[in-house]
Amino acid sequence: MITAGIDMGTQSIKIAILKDNEPISQVLVSSGFEPTKAAEQAFEEALRKAQLSRNNVKHITATGAAAELAPYSDSTISVIGADARAGVYSFSTARTLIDIGAEEARAVRCDEKGKLLNFVINERCAAGAGTFIEAMARALELKLEDMGPLSLKAEKASQINATCVIFGESDVVTLIHRQEPKPEIARAIYDAMAERISSMVYRLGVNPDVVLVGGVAKDVGFVTSLKKKLGTNVLVPRDPEFASALGAALIAARRMES
Amino acid sequence: MTGIDEIGMKYFLEIPQKEIEEIRDTIKATSIKVTAENIERMKKTTPNRPETMTYFDGISDFFGQREHEIRVAKEEGKKVIGYMCMFAPIELILAADAIPVQVNSGWFDATKLGDRIVPVEVCPIIRSTIGAKMVGLSPYLELSDTIINTLTCDGMTKLGEILSDHKPIWTMCPPRVKDSPQSMVLWREELKTVKQKIEDLTGNKITEKEFRSAIELRQRATKAFRRLQDIRKGSPVIMGRDAMLVNQTSAWDDIKRWTQKTEELCDELEKRIQQKMWAYPPDTPRVMITGTPMVWPDNWKLPNLIEESNPQGVLVADELCSSDRLLYDPVGVDEWTMDDMFNAVAERYLLTSTCPCFTSKDGNEDRINWLLNRLKEFRVDGVIYHVVRGCMLYAMEYTRIKRILDHRNVPVYYLDTEYTREDVGQMKTRVEAFIEMLKAKVEI
Amino acid sequence: MMGIIAEMLQAIIAVGIVIAGILATIVGVKDRTKKISCLRVFVQTISLSIIFLGLIIGPFGLTKYPPIGNAPRDMLIGTSILGAPFPDGLSVPTMACYYPSGRTMTCVLWQIQSYIFPFWDAGKGWGVNYVSSGLERLAITFGLLMVMSIVLGRFFCGWICPFGFYMDLITRVRKIMKVRHRNLSERLNEGLRQLRYLIIAAILLLSFIFGAEAIVGIHLVSGTEYKGFIYQYFSAPFCQICPMRPLCVPIEGALGWMNLNYVFSQTTGQFYEIGYYVTSLNVLVLILVTIGAFVLRRFWCRFCPLGGLIAVFNRFVPFKWASVVRLYKEEEKCTKCGICKRVCTPQVTEVYEEKGGDVTTSGCILCFRCVEMCPYEDCLKINVAGKTVFKSKNWLNLSK
Repeated sequence: MITAGIDMGTQSIKIAILKDNEPISQVLVSSGFEPTKAAEQAFEEALRKAQLSRNNVKHITATGAAAELAPYSDSTISVIGADARAGVYSFSTARTLIDIGAEEARAVRCDEKGKLLNFVINERCAAGAGTFIEAMARALELKLEDMGPLSLKAEKASQINATCVIFGESDVVTLIHRQEPKPEIARAIYDAMAERISSMVYRLGVNPDVVLVGGVAKDVGFVTSLKKKLGTNVLVPRDPEFASALGAALIAARRMES
Repeated sequence: MTGIDEIGMKYFLEIPQKEIEEIRDTIKATSIKVTAENIERMKKTTPNRPETMTYFDGISDFFGQREHEIRVAKEEGKKVIGYMCMFAPIELILAADAIPVQVNSGWFDATKLGDRIVPVEVCPIIRSTIGAKMVGLSPYLELSDTIINTLTCDGMTKLGEILSDHKPIWTMCPPRVKDSPQSMVLWREELKTVKQKIEDLTGNKITEKEFRSAIELRQRATKAFRRLQDIRKGSPVIMGRDAMLVNQTSAWDDIKRWTQKTEELCDELEKRIQQKMWAYPPDTPRVMITGTPMVWPDNWKLPNLIEESNPQGVLVADELCSSDRLLYDPVGVDEWTMDDMFNAVAERYLLTSTCPCFTSKDGNEDRINWLLNRLKEFRVDGVIYHVVRGCMLYAMEYTRIKRILDHRNVPVYYLDTEYTREDVGQMKTRVEAFIEMLKAKVEI
Repeated sequence: MMGIIAEMLQAIIAVGIVIAGILATIVGVKDRTKKISCLRVFVQTISLSIIFLGLIIGPFGLTKYPPIGNAPRDMLIGTSILGAPFPDGLSVPTMACYYPSGRTMTCVLWQIQSYIFPFWDAGKGWGVNYVSSGLERLAITFGLLMVMSIVLGRFFCGWICPFGFYMDLITRVRKIMKVRHRNLSERLNEGLRQLRYLIIAAILLLSFIFGAEAIVGIHLVSGTEYKGFIYQYFSAPFCQICPMRPLCVPIEGALGWMNLNYVFSQTTGQFYEIGYYVTSLNVLVLILVTIGAFVLRRFWCRFCPLGGLIAVFNRFVPFKWASVVRLYKEEEKCTKCGICKRVCTPQVTEVYEEKGGDVTTSGCILCFRCVEMCPYEDCLKINVAGKTVFKSKNWLNLSK
């Protein structure tokens, strides 16, 4: 059976197509000014990659902050529910899931079937979301994908403003002018963000295994900091940015069965 | 010589009349639109909405039937006494043949006006009421001859002072600790003062006979009110939003007529129970809201989300002083003498309140008992703890309530919001996730 | 033959009236806040009639005891307890005064004070020849007191005591006159409640002193020897100041069986004694307590020594665990509205202050008014031997 999940995120749209619960096609596009159209085009592309047509797909579930803007959907699921489902799919021992999107971070506790037990969302602190890292990378004049590996070379972390890390951006500029080594600044940035995320997760209670998804999960610098701050191992699935879309597609499959 | 009197108004600004009228007409139009929209959404969610609800829809329009009635009564010489918190002694007002009406402001757009006078950190209900007064938006506030201001929380305390630029304010000071012997002494004295003021304002002396009929009138209203809440204990035959609207209208409407209409509504609902005509499927997750009151019309944000989200939840109970708490407790009179009736009224308003502005050596146990009792009787699946930003009292009690509800294995979600439409999207994610969680629990 | 049938008919009619009355109040009174109160008034009337039964049915010639002197003879019940002779009838821990004729039971305080003469052997007491020793009679008295306290507790006070009925009537008069009542401060009320144990101790001590000759062979105070001054006139110390005694005079007098001239002529000439078994102190205390019962409610009950005696055998450890009638409160349903505290006639505050569970106290007279007036379903309950017999209901339904 073929199902699909559409994750209408704030910054990007992710499509995942599943055949018998195995992902066969994934597409990511930027949302832009017309997300519905962008999603439509992305969906067509995903179908093309899988060599399928629209009516092969039995059930489409939409998720994400703008789920109601999805071009097609037979049902919807909150991004929380999608994350939980995707977590146990990737790692059967997953019980705590952290999803860091562009503008908000979520933490979810689930059981072995992927059913929601508790969750916490933080969209107020921008230092806990993806755009923060992008802004910091710009301040350091680094490419986003280089900042992570660079931070691993640091021996220690610099000092950044402890309360509001947005003001940290001006701190970073000051540090650069003072000739602080960039790896140490990058380390400090990741540590600050990991601090925010882990305090959110502690509110929920850390129940191993912990899984990290979302685009930020690809950043090895952040994952290292998070492991340190949480004091536990953090698992990252393949293609973590497609986790929500994958989860939505899995739920679509279950809904078809019932 | 401080020269304070030379300054003129204590807080309010002078705004050009044209601007006042412009803003007022805009917000009034929005209010009428939102009111109609809310009702439309309620009608859409359950196609077989009870017919008696049409009456309550009429009362829910601030600029409609009820305003007209009060205006006419005022022209005929009756006095209108407004109040904000539910500590005002309604029975005394009714006994003196005056009209009691609640003047809380539920308009989002009026908060921006209030921001001109007080900082944004202040409770939005307060800012909205100030804004409403600035442009003469609220018909009930404008028609009031005086306002009874109970000094419960910090916001309310200062709000009276601010509004006194334009309206006579009678303050009533409830003691923050209810159960010490001196607290009832203070509260009774406060009530005696207000009673005298009511008699002076209306020119009617409150006699024993009239006091008794006012108490009995409100007892009948409580009977109908409880009947409606008891119906909500079973499978959902009425939308939570409809019941909340009925509850809220009791603060504005003519009590006798409201009682009669609520009894009619309950009759209609009981027939539906027999025919098993449910408003929602019986296995819908049952949600209870507790926290800061939600004033009509703009604050229907959260109830709308709960009952229209996918998956759907149904509001079965709440611990809000704008809804399930308004008329729940009756006045219990032992001997129908003036003295006992007065004591009964005084005790009912002070001792039964679950507002977090009170404390005691064991904390606010009244509220905890209220919640725990309802968890059992209404078979609540999950609790949403609603707080508006700036409400210190409700926010601080969250830790204790969460601990107790966790101990009882009841999911509780802290939802803080503001008087704004912007955060509906974010709230939607949270509410949907929460109800998904409840549904999963229900299915297990 | 006809006599037996006549007696059976009398019994059936009497029981029938009682049951009809009870049903009438339960069914007929629609207002839930008045139902139990009306039933209680009815039961109080029946209790009064039963306690002074001889006076009531004496005039109809239905009693098989012929009249002696100016009043019908007692129709005592319980003159033989488990085979042991108990000549003054069943002890009850209420003010079922010993002194009037035509009674069916006896106040336990009188028995405690009087059964000292003679103590160790059978013999002559105050005018009566006792066939059993004082010790034996006292043992039976205390035994009965203990059983009744455990089983019914202060139910006697609320539903059976004639003096309680008297105070309730005064309250009714006050209500008709629309006069407000006062409340004692809680500290003073608590003090009065402790006072009753002091009164009991004083009674026991005085009884011992007055009866010392019978118990230990020597009299401690002059006048307490057999047929001495105190022996003749002060023998039952509490009864000389009890407010119930003078009330019996109008009860007997009103029913025509006691000539009031006879009562007031039969004084011994002592300055304090104003009539046949009535002292001026009795009358003074009665007047004071009446005024007290007008201004407060159930004034006497707060420091009544009989209530204290019941409390000892009902509320103190170990009797506490055996007591049968209890008041329970559901913690979560209580909104602390304060109605129970306000309507309580002896001003018991524990029903309000205690959070939940067993809230039976010794100040409570089990009149059930708080349960009747509590507006929250199932919040307050009366349990008899563990089973709920009455609980609070939403009285808004079925009220007008």
